[in-house]
Amino acid sequence: MMPDAAPEITEDEFRRLADFLYRRTGMVFTETKRYYVERRILERIVATSSPSFAAYFTHLRSGIRDEVEHLINAFTVNETYFYREDHQLACLSDDLLKERVAAKRPGDSIRIWSIPCSTGEEPYSIAIWLLENWKDVDAYDIEIVGSDIDTRVLDAAAEGIFGKRALMRLSPELIARYFHERDDERWQILDDLRQSVRFSRVNLIETRETRPQGRFDVIFCRNVLIYFDDESRRIAAENLYDNLLPGGFICLGHTESMSRISPLFEVCRYSGAIVYRRPQELRA
Amino acid sequence: MSEMSRKRILVIDDAALVRTYYRAALEPRGFIVEEALNGVEGLEKLLLEPFDLAIVDVNMPQMDGITFLQTLRAKELPVSGIPVLVTSSEAGTQDLTAARRAGANYYLVKPIRQETLADYAAMFCGEPR
Repeated sequence: MMPDAAPEITEDEFRRLADFLYRRTGMVFTETKRYYVERRILERIVATSSPSFAAYFTHLRSGIRDEVEHLINAFTVNETYFYREDHQLACLSDDLLKERVAAKRPGDSIRIWSIPCSTGEEPYSIAIWLLENWKDVDAYDIEIVGSDIDTRVLDAAAEGIFGKRALMRLSPELIARYFHERDDERWQILDDLRQSVRFSRVNLIETRETRPQGRFDVIFCRNVLIYFDDESRRIAAENLYDNLLPGGFICLGHTESMSRISPLFEVCRYSGAIVYRRPQELRA
Repeated sequence: MSEMSRKRILVIDDAALVRTYYRAALEPRGFIVEEALNGVEGLEKLLLEPFDLAIVDVNMPQMDGITFLQTLRAKELPVSGIPVLVTSSEAGTQDLTAARRAGANYYLVKPIRQETLADYAAMFCGEPR
């Protein structure tokens, strides 16, 4: 709900806030996104009962009651669905894992990271896809981690309840196999599948948050770098590189290209997708 | 098919994804699937409820599959006589021998196709139809 007399946000105030958000999240909010940003800020001004923008901004910067987190949560876009861009999932089971396990022994771990994972559609899709399409699924210790900057979506992801829209790409057989139907036209993913994904809050441009996640065989990082500016993208790419095992792969959204962001990775073309790889050896 | 006549299988594996995979293999064939996350929990369930088969992984925290088998076989009948199918990612003869000595009825090396697992389950429990 908007306040009756919405506080005005001046151009200077907007710039200061955008600058503050950029430093904290790496996300760039230009004048062109002003309407969108302003609406979210006004929501938070009302929610915190702040008398003015200036008062709210002080509140925000003081870090009281995790206001930064609340504001970030209000900004992040969280709509996705199961089996989105499934050609990349096919590439994962047909090509990427085959390469990754070549140097492993059965029983070894395979780590897959979904960042940002939003409400869990992507990491759970990876789990279901592997159960259905990868013949070695029981032979390796598969660890799937879902991370996001938005704590609200992480709570929802851990709960694993989805509406029709999120499941639109799944066949009725798959839904019956891996979900319980609830009475409110919503479906909850099976307990075992919920347990097969670990969720954690991570800001992609904060190395101190990405590093503890450890190194992965494959990272899915789709449609988030487009929200960053060049500098944040570069930091994110370096963090992602650090989080990959040598020879590990990263999958971006189909409109994104790592080659424009960072020279650290080598591009790999498979029949189903273009992915990027951390080279086996450091270049001289 | 009534609930009474359906065969009950206990899947003991610490990996949630593997338990899902086995469940998806066995339930469509009419088996009732229960789960345990390690050998200790597996033993507890077998002592509390009747089962027709246990499928147990070798590598698990708390109590591994081999220790589980040795402990189970040392119990009183009838619980000690439950058929146990051991699954493992280790294909070596040493591992197979260790499982057999501990009292395994059969040893399947992962990866295991879903149809294969369900076929073996049916051989131990009787085809549920």
